[in-house]
Amino acid sequence: MNTSPLDDKEITRELWQSRIPICFLLSEEDKSKVNRSETPEPFYLMLSRHLYFPCIIDKISRYYSTYYKENLTDSTNNISLHNLWLEYESIPLKWHYPIGVLYDLYTSSLSSTSSCHLPWQIIVHLSKFPENELIRFPDKETIEAHYMTTLKEADALKHKGQIIGDMQKRDHKQLWNSLFQDKYENFWNINMKLMSYTDNLQYFRYIPFRIYILDRVFIQKLFSPYDIEHDKWMTLNDLIQFSLNHEAQCERLSNEKEILNINIKDYRIIIHGVQPPLHTPIQWLSEYFSYPDNFLHICLVEKRM
Amino acid sequence: MSTVEGDENESLGNASNSAVTNEETSSNTTRSGPLNDSEGGAKVVFLLKAAGGAPILKKKKWALPRSKTMGHIVEFLKKYMQLDSQQQQQLFLYVNQSFAPALDTTIGSVNDCFSSEGTLVLHYSLTQAWG
Repeated sequence: MNTSPLDDKEITRELWQSRIPICFLLSEEDKSKVNRSETPEPFYLMLSRHLYFPCIIDKISRYYSTYYKENLTDSTNNISLHNLWLEYESIPLKWHYPIGVLYDLYTSSLSSTSSCHLPWQIIVHLSKFPENELIRFPDKETIEAHYMTTLKEADALKHKGQIIGDMQKRDHKQLWNSLFQDKYENFWNINMKLMSYTDNLQYFRYIPFRIYILDRVFIQKLFSPYDIEHDKWMTLNDLIQFSLNHEAQCERLSNEKEILNINIKDYRIIIHGVQPPLHTPIQWLSEYFSYPDNFLHICLVEKRM
Repeated sequence: MSTVEGDENESLGNASNSAVTNEETSSNTTRSGPLNDSEGGAKVVFLLKAAGGAPILKKKKWALPRSKTMGHIVEFLKKYMQLDSQQQQQLFLYVNQSFAPALDTTIGSVNDCFSSEGTLVLHYSLTQAWG
């Protein structure tokens, strides 16, 4: 790849530092069950795009527990920190998706106005956990396990799992801890090993990526960043077109009623809140634009007519 | 790795031979015709292998529509193996004997990326066998 490694590294640092201001509002229903005379004020946090909501669950819990001191153990009220869940525009937010992915996918797709969506207003619920729609992710240990398994999956695609398999347990720990503690250098000291090449290749065997479209399960396929036959680098456009075509084909064979729109021009393609040029080589994006879990999380938002 | 013996064996055996469940009918239909090339096809065929001391299933080959999630498989297996829901016994599904996909991942997606020579192997365990 003929790019300057120094400039590219700066991009990873900028991405690492990107934040989203979030305003947490208690749901109307739970407000009525508040113990104190005043209802909770909106609660503001500035969060890393690549973190997960369970990472700050302690902060949220502590804030609201002061308002529900006596009610928390009262099961008739059904208010419980164990039942905490977050919602945006009637959509329960999945705990295990990075915050930036949730923001890009939902605010772009759902907001009725095209104006700025900041701070991101999220409703906090303390009751009526939507069992059918959300997996409970109560604590930091669970999200750490999720992060590690996602990393292993990424390495399975890139290097047949060889690099992460050869790492010490303390290196795994360092990745998570530095992510959690916002330590860029400590993170990349280990992560750069996961960005190296194996098997005499000058690229990753397959690219770890997921494509998110509103109201659909994510799309994940096997995709090589280099076309050996034609001696060329595959681009973001190639990856998305391939994935959409393949997914539409699968739907046709399964006799699904609503077939996916495979016309790329109908979508805005968003990674980390920006729209990278479609001719960007996917190998480069994988190395510099992946999330800390080593996946490219790509949001496809249908353009409004 | 322990095999299921005695009474347990019987109950699992009965479960697999008894009245068909949704999952089993799909497996029967694939047996009658040529084995599906699961990629792009309607059903994904996968093998379930025991790990971490989990009971071995009599029925190892299964088939499911692409859109079924890993969570669906976990819940089904918990009932099938009659795991104790009161004690909140957990079941973990692993791919490549190394990672556990998030429960909302579809079997179609896992198959597209990790099947080997047309076969997808999933390991199930009662403990976190691979972290």
